[in-house]
Amino acid sequence: MDLNRTLLAQRTRRQLFEDCGVGVGKVALTSLLVGDSLYSKPAADARGIHHQPRAKSIIYLFMAGAPSQFELFEPKTELQKLSGKTLPPSMLDGKRFAFMESFARKPPKLLGTVRKFAQHGQSGQWVSECLPHTAQIVDDVTFVRTVHTENFNHAPAKIFMNTGTPFFGRPSMGSWVSYGIGSEAKDMPSFVVLQSGPRGPRGGAMNWTSGFLPTAHQGVPFLSGGAPILNMSSPEGFESERQTVTIDAILDLNRMNMEKTGDPEILTRIGAYEMAHRMQTSGPELIDFSTENQETLDLYGAKPGEKSFANNCLLARRLVERGVRFVQLYHSSWDHHGGPGESLTKDLDEVCLSADQPCKALIMDLKQRGMLEDTLVVWGGEFGRTPMGEVRDTVGRNHHIDAFTMWFAGGGTKPGQNIGETDEIGFSAVKDPVHVHDVQATILHLLGIDHKQLTFRFRGRDFRLTDVGGNLIERLLA
Amino acid sequence: MVCVGPVLWGQTDEVRHFEERVRPILATKCQICHGDQVQTSGLSLASREELLKGGMRGPAVVPGSPDASLLLAALEGSGPLQMPPTGPLQPEEIEAFRTWVRNGAVWGKAPRVPAAAAALWSVKPIERQNPPEVNKLEWVRNPIDNFVLAGLEAEGIDPSPEADRRTLIRRASLDLTGLLPDPTEVRAFLADNQPDAYGRLIERLLESPHYGERWGRHWLDIARYADTNGYSIDGARSIWRYRDWVINALNENMPFNEFVIEQVAGDLLPDATDSQRIATGFHRNTMINQEGGIDFEQYRVEAVVDRVRTTGAAFLGLTLACARCHDHKFDPISQKEFYQVFAFFNNVDELGGNLEESVGRSRMMEPILEFGDPEVMAKRDSLRERIDQLESEQDALQANLEANWGQQFPPGDDESIERAREIIAIPRDERSSIQNSVLRRILSDQVAEFKEKNSEIGAIQRSIPNIEWTMVMRDLIEPRDSFIHVQGDFTRRGEDVEPGTLAVLPPFPDTAPRNRLGLAHWLVSDSQPLTPRVTMNRVWQRYFGLGIVETENDFGSQGTPPSHPALLDWLASELVRRDWNLKDMHRLILNSATYRQASDYRADAAQVDPSNRLLARQNRLRLEAEVIRDAALSASGLLAAKVGGPSVYPPQPAGAGQFTQVDRKWKADEGPDRYRRGMYTFFSRSAAHPGLVLFDAPIAQESVTRRNRSNTPLQALTLLNDESQTEFATALAQRVRDSAANRSERIQTAFEICLARPPTEAEHSRLDRFIARMEDEFATDPETIARAGADSASDAAWTAAARVMINLDEFVTRQ
Repeated sequence: MDLNRTLLAQRTRRQLFEDCGVGVGKVALTSLLVGDSLYSKPAADARGIHHQPRAKSIIYLFMAGAPSQFELFEPKTELQKLSGKTLPPSMLDGKRFAFMESFARKPPKLLGTVRKFAQHGQSGQWVSECLPHTAQIVDDVTFVRTVHTENFNHAPAKIFMNTGTPFFGRPSMGSWVSYGIGSEAKDMPSFVVLQSGPRGPRGGAMNWTSGFLPTAHQGVPFLSGGAPILNMSSPEGFESERQTVTIDAILDLNRMNMEKTGDPEILTRIGAYEMAHRMQTSGPELIDFSTENQETLDLYGAKPGEKSFANNCLLARRLVERGVRFVQLYHSSWDHHGGPGESLTKDLDEVCLSADQPCKALIMDLKQRGMLEDTLVVWGGEFGRTPMGEVRDTVGRNHHIDAFTMWFAGGGTKPGQNIGETDEIGFSAVKDPVHVHDVQATILHLLGIDHKQLTFRFRGRDFRLTDVGGNLIERLLA
Repeated sequence: MVCVGPVLWGQTDEVRHFEERVRPILATKCQICHGDQVQTSGLSLASREELLKGGMRGPAVVPGSPDASLLLAALEGSGPLQMPPTGPLQPEEIEAFRTWVRNGAVWGKAPRVPAAAAALWSVKPIERQNPPEVNKLEWVRNPIDNFVLAGLEAEGIDPSPEADRRTLIRRASLDLTGLLPDPTEVRAFLADNQPDAYGRLIERLLESPHYGERWGRHWLDIARYADTNGYSIDGARSIWRYRDWVINALNENMPFNEFVIEQVAGDLLPDATDSQRIATGFHRNTMINQEGGIDFEQYRVEAVVDRVRTTGAAFLGLTLACARCHDHKFDPISQKEFYQVFAFFNNVDELGGNLEESVGRSRMMEPILEFGDPEVMAKRDSLRERIDQLESEQDALQANLEANWGQQFPPGDDESIERAREIIAIPRDERSSIQNSVLRRILSDQVAEFKEKNSEIGAIQRSIPNIEWTMVMRDLIEPRDSFIHVQGDFTRRGEDVEPGTLAVLPPFPDTAPRNRLGLAHWLVSDSQPLTPRVTMNRVWQRYFGLGIVETENDFGSQGTPPSHPALLDWLASELVRRDWNLKDMHRLILNSATYRQASDYRADAAQVDPSNRLLARQNRLRLEAEVIRDAALSASGLLAAKVGGPSVYPPQPAGAGQFTQVDRKWKADEGPDRYRRGMYTFFSRSAAHPGLVLFDAPIAQESVTRRNRSNTPLQALTLLNDESQTEFATALAQRVRDSAANRSERIQTAFEICLARPPTEAEHSRLDRFIARMEDEFATDPETIARAGADSASDAAWTAAARVMINLDEFVTRQ
């Protein structure tokens, strides 16, 4: 190579590495340098950037609307006993809730659950009758019962769970991960977002924004049902061979301009078109469930072509198989205030029915394929629900930020445990409180990233996902 | 040398080493805990004296002996400490400290770190210097070139030659209007032999109504303009008149100081016009949370904070919001000062405080300015009165029903009747709004008369005429109290504050009113160094990709120093000297030899200056999201050139709205509105048009002063497959076919339309080969011809060729 070329190649790779989102680690750079085509090689190998990772990928089951821990995971004898009693007003001092006026005018009453609980598995975990399938995987799962957050409205709390701050414009966890360790997918984005249930997540794109990180790291929403990626299909009349021939012509002409101007950015664009072309071929294959056997489809309850959480869970496994780093599934709605469509009875039954079996299936399927070891599965909402009832058409529960339950499986977590303990009525943690930043720090840790070191300089400050907080949930680690 | 700023002139190597390698790390990594404001373990690293004095563990440094210095032990983790706690420094950074201590721990000129007020270059008065002497005088076209050339000559680099005329007209058209030059315009420019041909081209473009659109869109990024409220529900709002105000103000070349004053405080000007009120939409572009059960005050405060943040970013280039929770860690901005600025924006008569849910909901968008025919408005008011009347009748009915509930509905097991009974038992003024609405729903289900009233009210509500409106600023007569929010928490009231500005900047005049109008005048006062610097830096950034100060949003101590400080000050002083005439400033830059250089990559210059900060050439820049659409629209001939008006709905891929709470119906426009410029596309914050977001359009959550410029496979998929692109390609093909009969001439035309130049021989033959191949493809499979929207194999092949053209890197790039 002459000097001009060498410089160019170096610059291109650096630029790619800076602008196009293939990782910041030295590892990422090295593997790029040995790659023959800029997009064909994984950006980072599986070594992570700060330490040996335990998980290669993450499937984050975001239960949008905030599930009630009291109906699902937290049996509280004392709360059952006190059901109907007014909460001592002193417990509300200094607390802020959504729909504050409903609590402020009249002290709310505690609410026991009508759901039956039983212990399950070797580990003897408590799970209610609402989730009979989840009850079967408790030995592969660890429950953290004391997660607490800072925002009590849906959109800000979701943004907090995803970006570590309630402020706008900060990058989401998936974007940080993509920025930090890049992608192993050769024909898929590194951060994919899926959605099911009656409505999309509140806040929409703010939940998977790349914020001030390069835009290439933003989450890419995949559609359920038809073609998963927007604009994945060639225009009518220009499909298959004609599309290939077209892209060839575009790239040849781009190369000619590259010779003329010497701008390495053109090489990046050529790489982007090559990958786009591969995505067009691999996209249909990704959603073609005919390659799955009936047993697997039945396990999930997946029906090809349907827009469902079951299909999305199966799709998530297939995405992870293809090297996608971060798959986030939003499933709605768990918002059970007691109003129409929000009852703790039939509406909760409905969402449980749609969510329960696919969760079990995902864990079992990953396990039997040997993928659970390096795939972290996270289950949880943006906050929890109050031990007090909230009276609307029926009695429901309000938003609660002081303690709620999440569960984790695979990806280097130690299964079959209970972490954290709440007080007798489940209001607050009495042992091992876990802040949202701790959850985020631990997720990054399992992916081989030190949350304190993954920073980005913007407006004069080094920002990170966990802001100025974050401690590892040590007991969760295997 | 130009690139590191004057502060390092004539200093010893040791000082340079300290300034370049050590001081930045001290400032960014150490001083948060060991600085002026906080001295963890009693240690400050803010000056050499303090370093030598040390903290609880003893002196931090023994000059000359790195191995005996605690600082090094802590950095290397060889002792009990490992610093910084955020993670160890890079080995080469630690080595820099080692070298520094070994050479005596020499301190730089500025005695303290951080470079607080005294050392912060950007707050010092603008210093206008004469353009420097240069050798290659024949290259210079105006003073800008002296400054740039001096930098190049100091490094021994030649500037690039002027770009050819075709490149120049395409570049200037895209930069000033965001549209492609028409081939006839290109030919006219090429044929113009007058020496001022280029100057006249620039004049023509500056007069184009599309200039205001192009530069207006830049401003709308800063103004975080969008057509929806953000957060969860993300409902639609009406504020496009503000967008149009920006376009018109720029087209009319409103002086930039007035442009600022009207946006910040147009409503407070004496006898404010509608136009001046519309301008204040600038600070109504804040998000509004429509989620149920929110604390209205919390989100009002968020909006006010956003106004402070935006003011900092848009005019001052300072990260004011850093001081929301505590004093700024690096820059001379105290928390108190943050809340002083906050106080200016704290009196808007908008939704906040402790309101009933239903009252709050009805006030969400206020204050607004309405545009209705007086007759229609009168009709609306009378209908509203009628509703009030019906509602009070309904209230009376409800009271009656409540009083007789027990008789009318004896206890039983009907769930809703029992539910109503429970609520009725609660005294009326103790019921929550949710209980009230539940009760009303039950009453309506059970009592026909009640339901009738409901339908009557509903029918009138639906008949209320729609009156157009836009969001504006209006202050309360009684100002709200402003106070420090302890740790940024609005529920924790700290010291009271009055409206005021930053001590480090020119004083707020005693005679000026302590309101937004006073603030607006202060922002553009003659003594204000930041607004003109920040403004000209951003103008420069739009033309060259990066500003003279690369961190265009941070002129504080953590920002990068200017690459050409004297040029920045010259431009800033020129802006003020020319009465804030922006078009004059565009004229200056566009006519400079610096701007007119070719953009071809140069290995020789890159060796010395790899990121082209010295501007030995122009930069090739990918077009912005909207302009990519606009370029294709202008190439296709489909462009509907109308300026302004309500936002429009071009096609978007099915399913694009699925990923937010409310999947807003998106019915693609037919007719001219289908072909409007990208900036008029209805912009939803939570589900923006994918064609915009994929090409880095910001989602308007906060002020954005520079966009990313990414290059991704999803962009390729959009350009290849999006419905609009195919439509554009089909129209472009038609235009090309109409222009000439033979293939060779058509290829020529296609290049001239899209790239403003003829093809090279190689390009010509490559496209020719492609068209022949596609003709064969279509001819052998005639069924696909109609599917491709064509009448013949040849026509279909031309649509294919047009697709190629609008997918070229050069097409989406300004060279």
